[in-house]
Amino acid sequence: MVDWVTFIDISLSGLGLGALYALVAMGFSLIYKVTGVLNFAQGQIAMIGAYGVVVFGTATVLPAAIPAWAAVLVTVLLGLVLGLALERVVFRQFIGEPVLSVIIVTLALGSILEGVVFFLYGQNAQAYPSALTFGGQLSLPLGTSIQAAYAIAVAIALVVVAVLMLFFRETVTGSILRASASDEQAAMVLGVSIERTIALAWTLSIAITAIGGILLATSSGGAAVSIENTGIIIFAAVVLGGLDSIPGAFIGSIVVGVLQELGSYYLVGGTAVYVPFTDVQANFGAGFGEILPLILLLVVILVKPYGLFGTERIERL
Amino acid sequence: MPCGEYFTDYESRMGLVRWRTQKIALALGLPIPFIAPFLLGGGTVTLLTQAYIFAIAVLGLNVILGYAGEIVLAQGAFMAIGAYSTSRLLAVGAGLFPALAVGGLISALVAVGFGLPSFRVKGFYIAISTLALQFIAEEWFFVNPQLAFIHGGTTQSVPSNVGLVGPVGALGTTIDKYLLALVLLLVFALLSLNLSRTGIGKTFRAIHENDLSASVLGVNVFKNKLLAFAIGGFMIGVAGGLFGFQIGFINAEYFTLGLTLEHYVMLLFGGLGRVWGALLGVGVVTLVQDYLNDGLNYLADLTGTNATALLPVFFGSIIIVVLAVEPKGVLAGLGKIKEYLRTWPFAY
Repeated sequence: MVDWVTFIDISLSGLGLGALYALVAMGFSLIYKVTGVLNFAQGQIAMIGAYGVVVFGTATVLPAAIPAWAAVLVTVLLGLVLGLALERVVFRQFIGEPVLSVIIVTLALGSILEGVVFFLYGQNAQAYPSALTFGGQLSLPLGTSIQAAYAIAVAIALVVVAVLMLFFRETVTGSILRASASDEQAAMVLGVSIERTIALAWTLSIAITAIGGILLATSSGGAAVSIENTGIIIFAAVVLGGLDSIPGAFIGSIVVGVLQELGSYYLVGGTAVYVPFTDVQANFGAGFGEILPLILLLVVILVKPYGLFGTERIERL
Repeated sequence: MPCGEYFTDYESRMGLVRWRTQKIALALGLPIPFIAPFLLGGGTVTLLTQAYIFAIAVLGLNVILGYAGEIVLAQGAFMAIGAYSTSRLLAVGAGLFPALAVGGLISALVAVGFGLPSFRVKGFYIAISTLALQFIAEEWFFVNPQLAFIHGGTTQSVPSNVGLVGPVGALGTTIDKYLLALVLLLVFALLSLNLSRTGIGKTFRAIHENDLSASVLGVNVFKNKLLAFAIGGFMIGVAGGLFGFQIGFINAEYFTLGLTLEHYVMLLFGGLGRVWGALLGVGVVTLVQDYLNDGLNYLADLTGTNATALLPVFFGSIIIVVLAVEPKGVLAGLGKIKEYLRTWPFAY
């Protein structure tokens, strides 16, 4: 017998998780759209964001901690600077290089960032400063409930997504970004500086991803190495939504979040559902929740590789 | 090597041993690795054995990535499949060669399976789908105790005293393993060299350069991509099996994305698409890694931090610098110097 309250509970937290993934996924799509770089280091950048708050907000590495809100601010600023620095120092060298080189550069970058975090903290989870940890449950109608920390993170994520959408739609800078994404040469003819646009895209993307990392960490009470896996899971989201579509990335993230939460609950451990007409539990073992989006990813690549909203690439000789 | 072009026909131009210097180098150089284990210490022999095994895996990667140009990020997963299959077959007493062959075949099968999307898409989609495979293998499949009936346990010890085929030709000492790895490496290196000279290798290169042009010229792109996946997957699987046999113990933690990246460093450092580049890369990177590991361990003891975690930082930096400075690898850089010296003091 399906317990509907539990089902809605799980789906809600799935939607929330999707909203958190959406930030990382949108960071990915933004870069892909504007520069054509597939950033395989998104997970590690999110992790840097998550651990950044630990570095500044607690006295584990630095001699003294700064207030939690300042730590978050400093981390986001760090994300902006990191984005700018990466574009200037690394990715500018690889404009016009084959896809292979760029992909491998981002992978290498990921391993560098991961190495730095492991150097500072090992593979242990780090608790957030108490001002950023929220206990308690938030009751919702129909008898469902959601953890307060989670609800706050999701609310902030949705606000950031909304602000981003408005930024792209309403501001001049946003339309410049959209213009250079849709046709670089035409944008150049109209007087857009592609160089500055690319730098802006990187800065924005890394900052969003870092915010995504911070919120992912807040929702679970602290920074953990598992945030790195986000980098792989969001591929399922962006491929499903279409690689070059930012709204697609958002919708894909929501689908992937719900799928992961439902999978973790109904296909893993003692809560697993029974295979129809038998008394065998469909228990696929720990971690299957995160595998489910990847299986979806493989199916999407086989069946509809350009996703729901992506533009199909037509090649000519 | 004399100045100018001396070849008068295609066969001598394409020969593997073309110059007298090369003949002498071959005659003098080939026996060295066979004599070496009897002169070197046990630690160095083990290190070299591991380098040979990684060289086989990197040559496999070279077939897929260097020749056919498909970005495969599941090196760790393919090696794990080879290692676990080999271990299970060794446990029932199949002997080393059949076990390695079957391990390689299963690896090749999985590689072909994950190459199937190349029917419709190309480039980074393959990278993403193989990354998904790596993640599934590393985070779920091989660490899941419920699936022990397939992989036989996340950590398992590999039988050490086994024969080459069944119980015949028993081997178990460090030197035996060294010689076995060396012979297999030579076989696979020769295979790769010949593959790149024959029609298949040229077809792969055509696909690598521009798959649309290749298909217009009548090359069956999909079939040849799958063939590259099969050949490369087989070699990587065999390397995985050998790796498990050499260590005598396998753990899912050995076969992570980190291993994939390490092999990328080796291949890119030496030179993509070149057998000698792959071998050079493996040699240099293995030695540097060994020294660096010792150094970082020393530093970690000295300062009380986990400095060993900085190894990936170092590797990541090498990849970025090599790709920025000489994308074709060190070997291509050396080739440029040689060309310059050959015609010196003239420009042409």
